[in-house]
Amino acid sequence: MMQEPQEVVEETVTIEEDPGTPTSHVSVVTSDDGTTRRTETKVTKVVKTITRRTYHPVMVTETLAPMESKPDTRTSTPVPNLTPTPSETDSVTKMVKTVTTRTVRQVPLGPDGMPLPEGSSPLGSYTDSIDRRYMKNGGERYITPQATSTLTRSYNNSYNDSYGETPESQYARHYGLHDGYADMTDNYGSLSRGVNFRPPRYPYMPNSYRPENSYTLPIRKDDYGHVAQPQVPMGSSSMDLNRSQPERFQPEPYGLEDDRRSLGAEEEEPYELEPDYSTANRRTLQGANRGRTHREPLRDGPRVRGYPDDPIEAELIDERHPYIHGMYSAPLAQPERGSMASLDRMGGRRSPSIDSIRKDPRWRDPDLPEVIAMLGHPIDPVKSNAAAYLQHLCYENDKIKKDVRQLKGIPVLVGLLDHPKSEVHRKACGALRNISYGKDHDNKVAIKNCDGIPALIRLLRKTNDMEVRELITGTLWNLSSYEPLKMVIINHGLQTMTNEVIIPHSGWEHEPNEDSKPRDAEWTTVFKNTSGCLRNVSSDGAEARRRLRECEGLVDALLHALQSAVGKKDMDNKSVENCVCIMRNLSYHVHKEVPGAEKFQDPSALQAPGSAGPQRKKKDDAGCFGGKKAKGRKNGENDKNYDTLDLPKRTEPSKGFELLYQPEVVRLYLSLLTESQNYNTLEAAAGALQNLSAGQWTWSNYIRATVRKEKGLPILVELLRSDSDKVVRAVAIALRNLSIDRRNKDLIGSYAMRDLVSNLPSGQQRPAKNLEEDTVVAILNTIHEIVTDSSENARSLIQAQAIEKLVAINRTSQSARETKAASHVLQTVWSYKDLRNALTKDGWNKSHFQPTVTATPKAAKNGKPGYDDTTLPLMEKNQGSRKCGSGDMIPLDELGPDGYSTIDQRDKDCKYKTGEGSVDLTEREPLKNDTNRKHYIRSNRPAVSLVDACDVKPQPVDSWV
Amino acid sequence: MSFVPGQPVTAVVQRIEIQKLRQNDHLILGFSIGGGIDQDPGQNPFSEDKTDKGIYVTRVSEGGPAELAGLQIGDKIMQVNGWDMTMVTHDQARKRLTKKNEQVVRLLVTRKSLEDAVRHSMSNYPK
Repeated sequence: MMQEPQEVVEETVTIEEDPGTPTSHVSVVTSDDGTTRRTETKVTKVVKTITRRTYHPVMVTETLAPMESKPDTRTSTPVPNLTPTPSETDSVTKMVKTVTTRTVRQVPLGPDGMPLPEGSSPLGSYTDSIDRRYMKNGGERYITPQATSTLTRSYNNSYNDSYGETPESQYARHYGLHDGYADMTDNYGSLSRGVNFRPPRYPYMPNSYRPENSYTLPIRKDDYGHVAQPQVPMGSSSMDLNRSQPERFQPEPYGLEDDRRSLGAEEEEPYELEPDYSTANRRTLQGANRGRTHREPLRDGPRVRGYPDDPIEAELIDERHPYIHGMYSAPLAQPERGSMASLDRMGGRRSPSIDSIRKDPRWRDPDLPEVIAMLGHPIDPVKSNAAAYLQHLCYENDKIKKDVRQLKGIPVLVGLLDHPKSEVHRKACGALRNISYGKDHDNKVAIKNCDGIPALIRLLRKTNDMEVRELITGTLWNLSSYEPLKMVIINHGLQTMTNEVIIPHSGWEHEPNEDSKPRDAEWTTVFKNTSGCLRNVSSDGAEARRRLRECEGLVDALLHALQSAVGKKDMDNKSVENCVCIMRNLSYHVHKEVPGAEKFQDPSALQAPGSAGPQRKKKDDAGCFGGKKAKGRKNGENDKNYDTLDLPKRTEPSKGFELLYQPEVVRLYLSLLTESQNYNTLEAAAGALQNLSAGQWTWSNYIRATVRKEKGLPILVELLRSDSDKVVRAVAIALRNLSIDRRNKDLIGSYAMRDLVSNLPSGQQRPAKNLEEDTVVAILNTIHEIVTDSSENARSLIQAQAIEKLVAINRTSQSARETKAASHVLQTVWSYKDLRNALTKDGWNKSHFQPTVTATPKAAKNGKPGYDDTTLPLMEKNQGSRKCGSGDMIPLDELGPDGYSTIDQRDKDCKYKTGEGSVDLTEREPLKNDTNRKHYIRSNRPAVSLVDACDVKPQPVDSWV
Repeated sequence: MSFVPGQPVTAVVQRIEIQKLRQNDHLILGFSIGGGIDQDPGQNPFSEDKTDKGIYVTRVSEGGPAELAGLQIGDKIMQVNGWDMTMVTHDQARKRLTKKNEQVVRLLVTRKSLEDAVRHSMSNYPK
């Protein structure tokens, strides 16, 4: 698919967040306490990463293609699939050629008198089962045993052997130097082993094949001399020699090419195959629509066409061949020829497309039921070729994927995962990866329903083949984009993925004291895929987070990998992004969900009169860490303590999930924030700090102080100028949480106010950045937090010329949420009586600071329900204050009635069930209570709930046995 | 797997024999169960019929005895060593599974994919 000559292929779809896609539905949810967490809201949201790699082309592209949710990425990257670019078509056509040649188009002319479904289109004509065709056609036309034999016979006969060997022998000759091939004499399966082998490039092909053909396949020539025309086109494109000996040799060249291609594809890079497949698919299966039209012109051969892409095409062809070949290769060749020969004589119809170019109408592609039937063929190469062909067909073709599912092909493919031959399970895995990609979740569910996930995990444990591992993890990544499968993946594969991929590739070692020096992380595709999968599953709610946190070695390895990235200054890649996103998600609600968290609850929060936050816990151990008061709201009585905060001494190094919230991570995140150019990474790192600084426990106090001591505040403020909306938003919310620390609040008020204000729209006219509503609301809420309880900061706000903007937003904004948030800030500012003088001097009066009519809670209903949370990190706190009845405070809850809903997907769902569109405060209470209950229960009872409790029902019990 | 009260339940079942693994002082099976007549069936994510109060496999530890024996997440446990599990409390089920004097547990389980497979084979194979 990617036609780029240079091998750049491209895109991997990651589920969760697309780097480039604004449309991604990942929402950052801020919960009541101000923690943020990212949820993938939609499948669409599924992150597609576009990676351009040579090797990846297949998988990635595949994945990407389906993901239409990210139009941006696609457009940005030249993905041939979506848009029929000339280059694309070329490659496709070539594919077609090869395919067509293989199968004989027997239908129309069937000697046995079989009905010819449709003469014109080769595809359509294949109603007959393979066996029938081969049998009948071959039988009549050719006396040769092979021809007459059924498929199975043909497979079993000597041809198979010759086919199998030919490729190898060829390779050996040409590439004799390759180690990998040396031992691959046995058969197809063996070919795959040669890892190092690169498929020969186009130019080399012709030479190698000819000798081979004539040499190895003498029999065929005799038998099928006239048969193989379709090949000619191929030959023309790739080999001149073939032409010289037109018909006889043609069959052979095919076989050879196929083999070779298969080798190349298999050995070299699984990804390259994709492009081929993709193209082939469209052409062949989709039939007349696109393929045909394009085919004809293309047939002439790449060179003839004169497309600039020719080299690329050539590559593609090579790759394709393996598959094609694989499919029908040895076994079918004879019967096909026979049929073809017959056809020639008969003068049967030819499909227009084929004829025009090749003049050999007789080859046809197998139809889907046939391909699926071949998956169960007793001969292994047939299975693997069928699977490979399926992979090709499914590439970017949702229709075919669906058909495969409905034809019950998926369970068969899953069954092949346990096949002992690497060639078979590799190809099956490739097909599953393509099938699992896309918006059609039924395909994913189908894989899961036939126990595909445990099968993939089993294979991951078993195989050492890098390519297979890439395919497995790519498939899992695709599967993980679908919400209901996340927990299944966790249940079956979390520890395996961690042990098999994450830990080894991260460079982290359990026993660091070995004399070997610490290893760096390797940003392999496997690691990228696996981290992407974990990133997706990490958004599945509290239980998922708990499982990931408690997964042995996972957090340690991720942190090691990130530290290695910082050390090498290699922080922009997808793997790093995935790792940071996982860390961010695992940091969400860490102060509530971590075992023993109640020991660290901040006593001041408990003592505060209205603090009804979810953290209400046992008070017993609360004092042992001398927690600082987190709320700056009480006039900063405790702020003097902050700089003298002593970090707790540790007797042994922290490990596992404890690492998530150790103050040491602050430096890591700040390094990422300083150095990375990847917006997603920036956003995630800021989100992690936001999460860590949110809670009311001792560790968040440390984190807030550490950010200041590590000079992180200027770094964050700097990022307020980022061009990326979501980065600005995450940073703004992080600053809001950090300002819970009184000293931070003073500093932020002094130094960040102008940058905050400059992000606000002035009136109806948006600033150059044109930030989204969520971001504007987040900034307004941050400003509100900063000016609360600090008349100094309110004065800075006035000096930053913010009042004009705030009043304009309050009066004219189209967004009810913005209006309300601005209104809250204005009311707070007006509450400082000592500032009123200055304000009136500037021409403002009380009416400017009063809420407009539209800013009533009802207006909130107009706002997007799910997103409010993003901007309401301090929900708990606000609620507390509201309960206290602090008169001048505006209940922040009005801002985000929905806040809870976004906590995570499950919670959200539940929330919507329980309180549809609840906007009023009364509704919030029950929701909040739920959270409390859930938390409380979890802390007291180790048992894991079946589902996150969203309502008042008793927690489901779940017992290990 | 739906059933009519008072009528016998028919289900496609698979026999699974799990050899318990000794871990420290405990014999473990390596899976966890949810459900039971004392539990809220509506919260069972695995049941098709949300009134089904049966015992379901909620988690299977990777590489554990249950996984090796072929037990899968979402399986509904019908019997344990011959004891009915469709009308028991959660705790009764747990106790049945964790008898210290039994080294082996024989389960009858059913799962949707089994039923589908049977249905599929019955409809397709005649021809």
